[in-house]
Amino acid sequence: MTDTSAARTLEEAVPLGLIPTVFQPRLEALSSAKSWMGWAGYQSAVVIENMEFEYFAIRNQSTLFDVSPMHKYRIQGPDAEAMLNRMMTRDVRKIRPGRVGYTLWCDEEGMVIDDGTLFRFGPDDFRLCCQERMLGWVLDAAWGFDVQVTDESDTISGLSLQGPTSFSILKDAGLDAAAALKPFDLAEIEPGLWISRTGFTGDLGYELWMKNADGLALWDRLWDAARDWGLKAIGFEALNLARIEAGFIAAQVDFQPIHSTLRLGRGRTPLELGFERLVDFEKDHFNGRRALLQQRQKGLRTHLVKIELGGFKPSNGALLYHRKTKEVGHVTSGAWSPTTKRNIALAELKAPYGGQVQDDLWAEIYVHEEGQWDRRLVPVTVQTSPFFSHPRARATPPRPF
Amino acid sequence: MSNTTQNFDAVIIGGGHNGLTAATTLARKGHSVCVLERSSVLGGMMSVGGAEAPSFTSRLAHLLYNLNPKVERELGLRLNARNLTTVSLAPNGEHVEIDGGKARMMDGALHPKAVAFATLQTRLQRFATLLSRLSLRTPPKLSGSWTDPETFGELMGLAGIGLGLKGMGKVEMREFLRALLTNVHDLMVDDLDDGPLAGAMAADAVRGSFSGPKAPGTLFSLLYRLGNGANLRAPVGGMASAVAAFEDAAARAGCVIKRQSAVRSVLVQGDRVHGVELDDGTVIHAKAVLSSIGPQATINLAGIQHFDVEIARRAKNLRAKGTAGKLNLLLKARPEFSGLPAPLHQARLLIAPSSDYVEHAFNPVKYGSFSEAPTLEILLPNAHTPETPQTLSAVVGYMPHDPPGGWTDALRTKAERQIMAVLEAYAPGIGDRVQHSELLTPTDIQTETGAAGGHWHHGEMGIDQILNVRPINGMAHYQCGVEGLYLCGASAHPGGDINGAPGRNSALQALKDGAL
Repeated sequence: MTDTSAARTLEEAVPLGLIPTVFQPRLEALSSAKSWMGWAGYQSAVVIENMEFEYFAIRNQSTLFDVSPMHKYRIQGPDAEAMLNRMMTRDVRKIRPGRVGYTLWCDEEGMVIDDGTLFRFGPDDFRLCCQERMLGWVLDAAWGFDVQVTDESDTISGLSLQGPTSFSILKDAGLDAAAALKPFDLAEIEPGLWISRTGFTGDLGYELWMKNADGLALWDRLWDAARDWGLKAIGFEALNLARIEAGFIAAQVDFQPIHSTLRLGRGRTPLELGFERLVDFEKDHFNGRRALLQQRQKGLRTHLVKIELGGFKPSNGALLYHRKTKEVGHVTSGAWSPTTKRNIALAELKAPYGGQVQDDLWAEIYVHEEGQWDRRLVPVTVQTSPFFSHPRARATPPRPF
Repeated sequence: MSNTTQNFDAVIIGGGHNGLTAATTLARKGHSVCVLERSSVLGGMMSVGGAEAPSFTSRLAHLLYNLNPKVERELGLRLNARNLTTVSLAPNGEHVEIDGGKARMMDGALHPKAVAFATLQTRLQRFATLLSRLSLRTPPKLSGSWTDPETFGELMGLAGIGLGLKGMGKVEMREFLRALLTNVHDLMVDDLDDGPLAGAMAADAVRGSFSGPKAPGTLFSLLYRLGNGANLRAPVGGMASAVAAFEDAAARAGCVIKRQSAVRSVLVQGDRVHGVELDDGTVIHAKAVLSSIGPQATINLAGIQHFDVEIARRAKNLRAKGTAGKLNLLLKARPEFSGLPAPLHQARLLIAPSSDYVEHAFNPVKYGSFSEAPTLEILLPNAHTPETPQTLSAVVGYMPHDPPGGWTDALRTKAERQIMAVLEAYAPGIGDRVQHSELLTPTDIQTETGAAGGHWHHGEMGIDQILNVRPINGMAHYQCGVEGLYLCGASAHPGGDINGAPGRNSALQALKDGAL
């Protein structure tokens, strides 16, 4: 054996392949599907055991999903609020310390760069969580402001605890102080453990944030407390179904983050994604404001909307037609919703379809059954409220269920 | 006493020639205009400095060789200037006199390449005239469809240039398209062989730039210089009299000019300007603010939060490393350049004996260092008379903007010694006649004028920083995003030199937008 203490080998310094998150040892032990994918360079579960079991656990029990690969940027300093307010389309000043806000940010042409959640720890202390790598952009946006930007993506771990019994688990784990958290509240429940009442399922749920070193201990603590509450570790597929039911959009799926597009015109504005309420034209300048004002005046190019379809065949990728003849859009995320028993989807339509024109819309769904393709034309109706919505998601304090 | 409030239609930041041109243009259309100049004297790059500065009548820029004729006419400038020829000096005494398209030796004989030079000059002049059509209008945006009236107008303007291009004939058109982005060195050396003639053209192409004549795109900057007829003019009485002419035009038009009035901030509310606040707290309200300082400085005055992230990033990364310095000498007696007939001492003298020489002069500046053999553009404003004191005014290429450790006294002394050594080689005995000397580095020029990097043109005239990306994409149409805020200095289209078109175009754009 040679002495390796002097210098790390290249492989140690720059690991090849996917990087395990701190929870990987537990996930590995639970996984019978052995189905993994890459997420921002990390190993992430597609399915742990069985997608359907995991989905029903989200809606009926509780689930743990490892969100550590999320990109996390800490923005601190006297100008942090001003800097973020110039970057974000919504008024960041209205997100008080101890609150989390869903937010979007645009380039100079008003095209969405990404969406994410902004955590406000204090007056001058924020963390931005998002799907896309964003350090370069955040640094550009921070230039000229008295702020410090730290990329915490690799040092902070996150667990998403979602489902009707999620609070009961926190309580039994001794974290009952989380009872006071209203949706989108954020608090340091124990030293170094921040819990936010947020999630991607539209149900009761929490996200727990800690230093990497504290991750496994917290996992075990939740797992031990969950004995009577039906906790399941889940993968991406089950979560994706839940988020479609909740009507949440996903980057790279329902819209193309502008910095990752090469072709002209593939970006979308927040208005086109249906987030006019998150664009505050009344506050001071923010990135893309002038372009968005212009678009509001000239009219949108597309509408991203929630739709319900006839039949029960999932509509992913289906083309949409007006009067069964004119192609006017396509489904970006489609699924049969087991909980609501509806055929649901998010879809992008060319304006004015999906906006002023909502009648006589049809979807062409291709169905593959044992080597035979079948084409079904089913009616489409535009929806305004989330497909899945339950009062337990908002009840404070949450009930045990 | 100072916290007073005043109202104007427009405020101009910076009393350089572009600021004064913008002001006069607006005032002549009946608007009330206030020009705010930070220093105690007007002129910017033409400025002769305050009372504390030694009295040189052309302390920074010393020539009018790109003043836009339309600007001169519209402003009614009362300029008294004489036309100059150029002499490109050779170390062996075989100097070349360049007068328009003619190239002669000192004995009056034609230069061996005189015919080729005349052909080249005619061709370049034709190209330049075509391109200069672009300089009197806001660069095209082409953002709308062709039925959009604004876009249609832009297309018609471009179509005019296209027709002009076609009108040159197939051969010339092909040559134009080939030459446009090429480097000046190859074109000169191909046709003229390398020597004082090629050197002169090379030096004119790159003066003030952060590039040598072998860099792509340098022919474009030569064409820019030739855009207004290539006639060189020296104002009688030095640039001080040119400053006075601009000031006089502004005053006649009714502009209010305030010296020693540094702007602390541009007031922005609801995404539009409301005026400016001065260092002494005075607030001046205005519907439009036209800033002749660069994009970065303008952004800083208004507050970076009013600008898009991309704009701020581009402004930060604007290429503006000044390379031109200025040497002013007060002399006990008239200098005598070897082999140069007495009358030609009144010409513009160039020390750029070859294009290679110019390229080599550029090399050290890339590393923050200073060439032992710099290029010089020399004027002897009092050469017509034997009276003393005599002065020498020289634009020095290339000097670094940020030498490692900064411009220390030791470095200045060294640089000055090197320049003097070059001068001594061409004008023996000049060193002994120096009474007083002043060397202005790009850093000094930045401090005195506020031009980013002390850059002669307020920003490199590269192919990435001209037309609808000058100074930067998103600020190229004089507009800055914030309503009523405009760029009107040399950093804006068409660019640098004592030109006036940026100021004029900016003012017209503000009027067109209905900002006033």
